[in-house]
Amino acid sequence: MSAGPYADAAGLVERSAAAYAAAVPDRPEDDGYFGPASVTWRVSGDLSAPVAGLRSLLMQALHPLAMAGVDQHSDWRRDPVGRLAATSAYTATVTYGDRAGADRAAQRVRAIHERVRGVDGVTGLPYAAGDPALLLWVHAALVDSALAAVDLFGTPIGEADADRYVAEMAVAATLLGVPQDMVPATVAALGRYITDTRPELRCTPAAAESMSYLLDPPGLDEEIADLWQDIRDAAVAALPGWAREMYGYPAPPTLTPLTAARRTEIRQTLGVLDAVFLAEPGVLEARQRLTVRMRG
Amino acid sequence: MSRGTPRVSTRARKVAAAAAVGGTALAAAGVLGVLRRTGRLRAGRAVAAPGRVREGRELAAPGRRTGRLRVERGIAALGLAARGGARYASSAPRLFAAAGEQREQLRNDLALQTAEDVTATLGTMKGVLMKLGQMASYVNDGLSPAARRTLSRLQDSVPPMSPALAAQVVTEELGLPPERAFATWDPEPIAAASIGQVHRAITHDGRAVAVKVQYPGIAETIEADLGNAALLRRMLKISVPSQDVDGLLAELRERVTEELDYRKEARNQQMFADYYRGHPTIVVPEIIGELSTRRVVTSELAEGARFAELAGWSQAERDLAAETIYRFVFRSLYEAHAFNGDPHPGNYLFHGGGRVTFLDFGLVKYFTAEEMRPLAAMVKHLCLDNDPEAFRRSMEEAGFLVKDAPLPTETIVEHMAVFYDTVRVRGPVTMTGDYASAVTRRFFDFHSPLAAYAAIPRSYVILQRINLGLFALLGDLSATADWRRIAEEIWPFFQGPPSTPMGEAEATWKSGRRLPSPA
Repeated sequence: MSAGPYADAAGLVERSAAAYAAAVPDRPEDDGYFGPASVTWRVSGDLSAPVAGLRSLLMQALHPLAMAGVDQHSDWRRDPVGRLAATSAYTATVTYGDRAGADRAAQRVRAIHERVRGVDGVTGLPYAAGDPALLLWVHAALVDSALAAVDLFGTPIGEADADRYVAEMAVAATLLGVPQDMVPATVAALGRYITDTRPELRCTPAAAESMSYLLDPPGLDEEIADLWQDIRDAAVAALPGWAREMYGYPAPPTLTPLTAARRTEIRQTLGVLDAVFLAEPGVLEARQRLTVRMRG
Repeated sequence: MSRGTPRVSTRARKVAAAAAVGGTALAAAGVLGVLRRTGRLRAGRAVAAPGRVREGRELAAPGRRTGRLRVERGIAALGLAARGGARYASSAPRLFAAAGEQREQLRNDLALQTAEDVTATLGTMKGVLMKLGQMASYVNDGLSPAARRTLSRLQDSVPPMSPALAAQVVTEELGLPPERAFATWDPEPIAAASIGQVHRAITHDGRAVAVKVQYPGIAETIEADLGNAALLRRMLKISVPSQDVDGLLAELRERVTEELDYRKEARNQQMFADYYRGHPTIVVPEIIGELSTRRVVTSELAEGARFAELAGWSQAERDLAAETIYRFVFRSLYEAHAFNGDPHPGNYLFHGGGRVTFLDFGLVKYFTAEEMRPLAAMVKHLCLDNDPEAFRRSMEEAGFLVKDAPLPTETIVEHMAVFYDTVRVRGPVTMTGDYASAVTRRFFDFHSPLAAYAAIPRSYVILQRINLGLFALLGDLSATADWRRIAEEIWPFFQGPPSTPMGEAEATWKSGRRLPSPA
């Protein structure tokens, strides 16, 4: 267990933005694994995406072996912002890049995963980052979080499109080596998988520590830190009750129950954050490239 | 910030120049305490403003003799007189064509096609932030670089409406599709506008017009987002550490809300058009009332040179243009008690001989007699009576300065005088960028002894634009005039004789017109 201190989170927005701008291709060879007509593009571009991202990390960290892999091997403590930016870059490349670009990015991640092996100090279990079981949890947490965030704070997409989204996203898991038949392809199957996996989940000290860092990252610009409080509350509110209990977080009082007025306020915060993101170099142009393709 | 016209000079807006006639000094007083100093102001220019002005005065004489200036202006004025109050001589088709030639480059490939697209682009605070960005140009210098970048980037991020969506709004508003409501309708916009876009058209009675069409749903969206006072306050507090964020917020909210209803703008513009009808140099396009509604405003199409083109004009022409703008602002303020709050370079068209067309009346502030009185009194006491104690009392009465602040009056006057420098004594003065910088520096001086006791009462917030917008233009034009003598013509407590050929032409106009009642 490495237990070094965390570096501060300065530059979180700037570096995520740079990663995003670079990942949206100028002249793609093809529409990639999803394409302009996909539900995935719509969900990924939704205002609620920051909530989805944070909720997804909260969910992923509850798997002790996934958490151990991150905690023991990656730069997570030394450069948390860089680690998050790398994840954003990868996700955006797989989502918006052409197939060759997505394949290359996946290949790089798989190569890194090869080297990430160890024993989790809490459960005493061995782990390997390339283990399809771990990869599937990480995948499921992301897909489930995107749906939860869109539903609560974004532009809801309806049941049929939610199923389509889960089905479309399966390819993201297979790109990293999860056998296709393991990957849930409907909302119901996703729900069953998460329920079945719950017995394996727990909040290890590494998870508790990482997440309390993420919920209140030191070193953010004053503007962003202020907005982040709302994003954090929204992500915690969007968690399943059992996940919140594992962490020991109370449901944010201002969001229980989630009234229409409070939902609007969260969306307004997300809008401001999005405006800040949009002002980062290259982001507006990247958005415009995507919009033009989606208008087709 | 492009309100119907291309953005011309950023610098011009940022660098404030001399405040001249009353009202402007308030800005100084209040903003001291309101805005945080930023790195924007060029450091190292330590020359005191008054010195600069005096230098400018001396320079003005050898450079351009006042006598010659008068002669040139006399010739220009003859031209004016010959034309009288004649409006556009050009025919409608020619104006229509000219507007097409000046078409702004817009991203039609990104065009908003539905009301949902509008909401996605401008909802959830983005429209509000954009409007605040436009209107808060007088707090620009207090914004953090990140906030400033965000606000200006937002304006770039708004694409035009598709021709079909614009037509849908026109149809909903006028009850007829645009190609029937107008004899000729250009489906492609010629310019982006404040929360809308401008199309050119020809009316059934043959007038070339500019039709501003508002994005559908934008008003509702912005009104809803303006309701989140907590978020706005949080954002403004971050960007503008102020004792009175709520006052600023309330004023901004009121102005934004007003601007969402184009009927208000149409009334404002028509008021100015009525007021200046027949004026020798001030042109305000007439509103076509029957083709104007809440989301559509139709006015005469105007054609002329853009601000940027003035760089290639003679200094005499630039001086005349500046004189017209100066007269427009202060005559409107002192006589109509109205101030057009958006004096940026894109809102003027120049025709030569000092003739200027004024565009965009979306942000007009009217003042009550009670609000005007202390402004005028401050000018009078400082510039005319030379009575510092009375000046101080007027400042207190207006609310710019707390009563009984533990400061000697001479300190207050010393600090405030710079804002009145161009009108304290008679004689030609050249507005310069250096002087402008000096005023701006003083304006944002938080170490000033006044800072702790100064404030801007809510109803005067908008007037800061005189300092931070209008006079920047005059500085950009390097305009020379005897501003004091022009001010004397306008000051209600002075009513001086015409001091320039333009003043004479204006006096003739004034004596011949029937005055509409002030607002």
